[in-house]
Amino acid sequence: MSPGLEVRMLCKRFGGIVVADSINLQIPAGRVVGLIGPNGAGKTSFFNLVSGIVRPDAGSVTLGGVDLTGLKTHQRARRGLSRTWQNLRLFSSLTVLDNLLVAPRLYLGESLTALLFGAGRVRRAERADRERATAILERTGLADIAHMSVGSVTFGQQKLIGVARALMNDPCCLLLDEPMAGVEGQAYQTIQRVVRDLAESGIAVCVVEHNVAFIRDLCDEGVFMFAGRVLARGSVAELIADPRLTELYFGT
Amino acid sequence: MEYVYALIMLMALYVILATSFDFVIGYGGLISIAHPVFYAIGAYTSALLALDFGLPIPLAIPAGAVVALLASVAVALPSLRISGDYLLIASIGFQLGLLEAIKNMAWTGGSGGLTNIPGVSAQSGGHGPYVVVTVLLAIGTVLLLRWITGSSYGRAISALRDDDMAFSALGRNGMMMKVGIFALGSGLAGLAGGLYAHYFRFLAPGQFGIMQSAALLTMVVVGGMRSIWGPVLGAVVLEALPQAITFLNLPPSLLGPLQGILFTGLVLVFMFARPQGLIGGGDVWRGRAVREVRDVARP
Ligand SMILES: Nc1ncnc2c1ncn2[C@@H]1O[C@H](COP(=O)(O)OP(=O)(O)O)[C@@H](O)[C@H]1O
Ligand SMILES: [Mg+2]
Repeated sequence: MSPGLEVRMLCKRFGGIVVADSINLQIPAGRVVGLIGPNGAGKTSFFNLVSGIVRPDAGSVTLGGVDLTGLKTHQRARRGLSRTWQNLRLFSSLTVLDNLLVAPRLYLGESLTALLFGAGRVRRAERADRERATAILERTGLADIAHMSVGSVTFGQQKLIGVARALMNDPCCLLLDEPMAGVEGQAYQTIQRVVRDLAESGIAVCVVEHNVAFIRDLCDEGVFMFAGRVLARGSVAELIADPRLTELYFGT
Repeated sequence: MEYVYALIMLMALYVILATSFDFVIGYGGLISIAHPVFYAIGAYTSALLALDFGLPIPLAIPAGAVVALLASVAVALPSLRISGDYLLIASIGFQLGLLEAIKNMAWTGGSGGLTNIPGVSAQSGGHGPYVVVTVLLAIGTVLLLRWITGSSYGRAISALRDDDMAFSALGRNGMMMKVGIFALGSGLAGLAGGLYAHYFRFLAPGQFGIMQSAALLTMVVVGGMRSIWGPVLGAVVLEALPQAITFLNLPPSLLGPLQGILFTGLVLVFMFARPQGLIGGGDVWRGRAVREVRDVARP
């Protein structure tokens, strides 16, 4: 099995708070790993560290054997690391389609010189991107609202747009931060199906989620995190059955 | 005739200044009010190159624009690296510091101003073509910025302004883009500076201070941020109306204050009548490409 995402000895503290305490974690390509833990366990911080938003105190991150440790956020994304956000972070002044169109892994349009001196090349890339974005919108059931502003669609749809935007990024590894919070019905089914498809196409997926049913149905295995540490790893059923973890999860 | 030429010059220059400032602060969301310092750098560079080194005016003006652009990169790179908020402080510091330096150097004419700048002479009938070229450059600036903001780069600018963290997590180099936006806007201000210097042939540091920043900000806000035509209208209206009363042949002691009152009065009227600006920018970015596709998609 190909290496996927490998995190070694990741450490980070904010003053007195330890958000990552020597985390070792591997997410093989083609697998869906659920990251479980109570609020404040450090799950979002883990994503921030892996995606380069927050600098770790120590530790390394590799993806598909490529070392990402010293790289900036955008450089990591260009090497195939994508993520979504607990608080969405959609581009509010763009339409649904345009939220996807700024998200390809390579986007010629971000370079002023490419635009000024290679307008034709930019236009061709744009056309190809638009086809891909349209296909992703179809797949996620968002085609009908493609030209609406992201502020004017339902919360469930906004969650889907966040996932669709990450898909547009063509990731090798996808980190999903609470994709199901506040989502029900159609969007719920869609996200579940899309994540499954992703894993089958060989992408390493890590999902932070409080919805136990979702985690149990979707994930190949689970990782339990508490106070910045990985306490256990195993099948989701095993983790749920562990009274020690349940106690930590629900507090005392 | 000379007076009308001068008025058209000023309006054209303020169109360049206001639209390029809107590009930086409105579209780019880069909070800086030091735009006039790049106007000054373009003006002084071009003037001194022509005055001290005999560089022909058509070469001196672009050289001034390039120096302004490079200076803006030197200000933006280190400050944006620290944080976006730092740009405001760093650029104001740069503006005040550089103007203070100009004031205290003999080479730049000091606080008394730089005179005898080579220019096109009125006698030889050179003013007409110079004004035409300036107006064409102003139109060119508007069209360039309109094209850029409606292109895939414009889409990226909007996304960057909305959320630069999500933007960079998609593989976009937001930092490079911010520097690029700041550099292009500042370079255009430098171009306006050179054009100003060889027409009016006199430069003083006082013309490029915080008052100038306030005037430009007013033009952009009154006209409508994040719209292309808003700042154009703001520049023309706020530059033209106060200037136009010069025709009334009032004594200077009355004219100065009256112009100030007129400017402020216009701002207040516009603010109350149209708080979103004369031409408000849309909340949702609509690039040209998107429009095309939608039209095709419609039955
Ligand atoms: N930038 C930061 N500065 C200081 N403390 C932080 C920062 N980010 C997160 N924390 C703290 O780290 C802990 C873990 O937060 P987080 O990773 O968001 O947890 P989770 O996603 O598991 O709910 C919390 O106590 C939070 O307050
Ligand atoms: Mg969290």
